[in-house]
Amino acid sequence: MTTAVLFLLLFGCMIIGIPVAISLGLSSIVTILLFSDDSLASIALKMFENVSEHYTLLAIPFFILSSAFLSTGGVARRIIRFATDVVGHIRGGLAMASVLACMLFAAVSGSSPATVAAIGSICIAGMVQSGYPKQMAAGVICNAGTLGILIPPSIVMLVYAAATEVSAARMFMAGFIPGIMIGVFLMIAIYILARVKGLPAQPWSGFREVWSAGLAALGGLMLIVIVLGSIYGGIASPTEAAAVSAVYAYLVAVFGYRDIGPLKREPWRKGDEPMAAAAVRNIGAMLLALPRSLADPDVRHVIMDAAKVSIMLLFIIANAMIFAHVLTTERIPHAIAETIVAWGLPAWGFLIIVNLLLLAAGNFMEPSAILLIMAPILFPIAVQLGIDPIHLGIIMVVNMEIGMLTPPVGLNLFVAAGITGESLLWATRAALPWLMILLLSLIIITYVPQVSLFLPELIDRLRGFS
Amino acid sequence: MLSRIWAHFEEGFIALLLVAMTLLVFFEVVLRFGFDTGLLWIEELTLHVSGWLVLFGASYGVKVHAHIGVDAVVRLLSAGTRRIVGLVAVALSLLYCGLFLAGGWVYIEKLIKIGIEMEDLPVPKWLAHSVIVIGFALLGLRLLELLWRIVKGQASGFELPDEARKVLDEADRDGLTGDRQP
Repeated sequence: MTTAVLFLLLFGCMIIGIPVAISLGLSSIVTILLFSDDSLASIALKMFENVSEHYTLLAIPFFILSSAFLSTGGVARRIIRFATDVVGHIRGGLAMASVLACMLFAAVSGSSPATVAAIGSICIAGMVQSGYPKQMAAGVICNAGTLGILIPPSIVMLVYAAATEVSAARMFMAGFIPGIMIGVFLMIAIYILARVKGLPAQPWSGFREVWSAGLAALGGLMLIVIVLGSIYGGIASPTEAAAVSAVYAYLVAVFGYRDIGPLKREPWRKGDEPMAAAAVRNIGAMLLALPRSLADPDVRHVIMDAAKVSIMLLFIIANAMIFAHVLTTERIPHAIAETIVAWGLPAWGFLIIVNLLLLAAGNFMEPSAILLIMAPILFPIAVQLGIDPIHLGIIMVVNMEIGMLTPPVGLNLFVAAGITGESLLWATRAALPWLMILLLSLIIITYVPQVSLFLPELIDRLRGFS
Repeated sequence: MLSRIWAHFEEGFIALLLVAMTLLVFFEVVLRFGFDTGLLWIEELTLHVSGWLVLFGASYGVKVHAHIGVDAVVRLLSAGTRRIVGLVAVALSLLYCGLFLAGGWVYIEKLIKIGIEMEDLPVPKWLAHSVIVIGFALLGLRLLELLWRIVKGQASGFELPDEARKVLDEADRDGLTGDRQP
């Protein structure tokens, strides 16, 4: 009865267009008032605790801020140049380069649709000019763009960690191999297709160019190194690593790359200006730029954008925690788990159901919202069936990736349709053949837990935990 | 005029909270690695700043259409039905807001009566937690404003964000449009 009321209210609220956060909170608070003795004041206190007692949650706004600084066109161009220099000379190289660029940019920006927009805007036109079919170009980028939520640092993984209280650092480690595996699969498929269709290769640009392009891209890519290095090395918590990366991203974007901010039209060296003069001018300009950033419209825009997304996500999380509280006090997941165990459903059968359920949900909702609603329900069941929580998390994230490629809510499809000027149906068809690779990877990741668990367990062993 | 001043204050305050949070944690890391020391109160302060950011910002989220939701069904409705559904949706959200406001008020009143301070900071606890009332009051006001706009026919509902549109606009801002057409 309680379960029915809770879920009917939740889905009823969401269908009539109430924001996810308020739907979660309203359905929970009404259920509490109807079926439990908790007072309104204690629920209000819980709400405040949800937003002010979880140190690990702070990593979310910090990562959003750092990616807002670095998901600019300038960073995309540098990463694409580097990727093209590295793999462009292979047959089908431009398409492979765009996959590599998507993987790198997605890791830095943490957002799939932003990756498709930035990399796609540049790469699709480039590929068409070099003789690639437009549909293939768009399809590859749609799919590779989804890797952003699987390759760490990933905001969706932080949300999963928040919903289930597993370690965010372990989630990050677990996503690494699956992310690279899917990227390599995509590249192999491109290579085979390029051989069959006789797609062109770029001339090899030489080690000097690879070196200088790598150096130019390094400013952005160092972010991944800083975050993963400090988390995996056990030096800093994800929250601290995220705060450092936010400050680093500001410094690189405003002082290093100068794509945005007060130094936008201030080159490192003007023509053949003497080095000493350039150094003095730069130091002066940079000292001035620190206070000038406060009033700069670009910097302000980035901060407000990050604030908007952070508030939205954290407000959903705060309400989802009240929802999860109702679930646990009413023992709803446990009841479902007992039923499933009584049916004698094996772990692999449960995982099929999880996949189907999430793929269906992915058609209508955003990844973080699905995770926050489904994770507290699926998590206790999975634990009872002996499935590793980290493994479950990776399965959920890969499902969310596929959800971004299926209409009607597939965000990446909308973006791809937008940048190519084609219809949504065209974009769906373009993405479909490559989606099969993602589905294949999902099956592998679901049934070979070691793909996800190898790295976190290896690092545990290295640190001597087990 | 007043609403313009308020809008400036609101944005400035939200930006300040986010930047302050980031710098506090960054500062803590610098202290630990650079000087092998730490300050006890930083964590409590950071966490409360984050609480203020979310609860104070929730109403701003309604204003700038930041709160995500499902609009696949609502979009199928005719304009008239959509407005009625929108009214119901906003009214229910007001109920949500009212319940939290009532609960928050009782809670803050109790805190004032007890008169305790925060754990590590010399600040009365009710003041630090008062954002629960402030935040939901502001959210309520924004929802009432939205309700009024639907009644007058200027809006049809929550107008959930279109993220695809947003990232495309963002790419245009970055000057990537020129690269797009082959």
